[in-house]
Amino acid sequence: MKKMICLTINGKEYELAAAPNMTLADLLREELLLTGTKKGCELGDCGTCTVIMNGKAVNSCLVLAVQASGKEITTVEGLETDEGLHPLQEKFIENGAIQCGFCTSGMLLSAKTLLDKNPKPDELEIRTAISGNLCRCTGYQKIVESIKDVSEGR
Amino acid sequence: MLLPKFQFHEPATVEEACRILGELGEKAKTLAGGTDLFVNMKKKVLAPEHVVSLDRIESLAELGFSNGTLRIGACAKAVEIAESDVVKNDFPALQEGASKLGSPLIRNLATVGGNLVSARPAADFPPPLMAYGAKVVLRSGNGERTVALADFIEAPGQTVLAADEILESILLEKPEAHSGSAYLKLGIREALEISLVNVAVCMATEGADGPIKAARVVMGSVGPTPLISASAEKTLLGKKPSEALFLAAGEAAAMDSRPIDDFRASADYKRAMVKELTRRALARAYDRARTE
Repeated sequence: MKKMICLTINGKEYELAAAPNMTLADLLREELLLTGTKKGCELGDCGTCTVIMNGKAVNSCLVLAVQASGKEITTVEGLETDEGLHPLQEKFIENGAIQCGFCTSGMLLSAKTLLDKNPKPDELEIRTAISGNLCRCTGYQKIVESIKDVSEGR
Repeated sequence: MLLPKFQFHEPATVEEACRILGELGEKAKTLAGGTDLFVNMKKKVLAPEHVVSLDRIESLAELGFSNGTLRIGACAKAVEIAESDVVKNDFPALQEGASKLGSPLIRNLATVGGNLVSARPAADFPPPLMAYGAKVVLRSGNGERTVALADFIEAPGQTVLAADEILESILLEKPEAHSGSAYLKLGIREALEISLVNVAVCMATEGADGPIKAARVVMGSVGPTPLISASAEKTLLGKKPSEALFLAAGEAAAMDSRPIDDFRASADYKRAMVKELTRRALARAYDRARTE
């Protein structure tokens, strides 16, 4: 039986009916068509489904939609504001930190939660913060540099 | 990858959770962080008819320190334990275990209680908690009981927890003066890794420069459950700390370990690593005891 849930996604309130076995990742992608959130391994290993839930980056493939009720969710679609792309997005583009792009949403959200909490991280802190997000293209270097650039106001 | 269908229960209190679990018995699985349960359900290893979430029970997520006892609610997230000042200062091996579990994303979901109840031989929480002599509080509709963590885990995936019981909290006594502790994990990579070998130690000396009066060495991934090395403890007790002594304790621990050959590494390699990790963990723990 479906349950009614109420949650905030990218600042907008939603009231939805969700089956208990629907994951937050599927709710976002299949019901709300927010396909910026990717599904890779679906087992918590790859980080492509990363979203921010109440300020913390989590694997949305391991959270039930019903568990997200009452919570505030930010997906990659929520990073852009009226002023344009988020500084992290700008730097990722400028530095070539995006190749195939499949890991990018998750990388951006993990990086955002890091900088929200720790505006001046060192390189080890940056690498640790994105250690749950796998990238098979870039070798991570340009991603790390982009996060560093934003933290240093470059 | 779909989750099998189930009925979902979200009790608001521990009492309500116990009542639901008591009624449903074996048909239900308890949900804490979900980082093990959902993986097993997606892989179709488990397909419970009912899932009882402890997510909304606030009292289970609390972490409190009073009168020298640290009480960790079973649903405290790994990240909260890793970032707690009390844990950092008084239980550094636990801080190291909490901060090596999974990845940052997993640590934001995974709970200490879930890690203990899953009872995987390579888990990151049991060795440091056992090194501190942790006790676990189990609650059912009929009351509560307190069990030593070392007796709680029986076999891979198996604990003494009854179907109608929940793990409510973990209790740790602050180590005495001149104590030090450490946890080391060996894997192929830094994140999202299942330990090849892990070792936690806790030791105390008689005064600042005296002989060792208490020691515990716990080894993970080298037996069906985390193992306490009695030989290492015997080697250390009553002796003056030294590099040579820590090496001897490492050799003793390696003798007590019971690793198997598997795809991760050979038993011989794991045994050699028990020796080295024990030596290093003792050296680090002793350093901490002196700079405390």
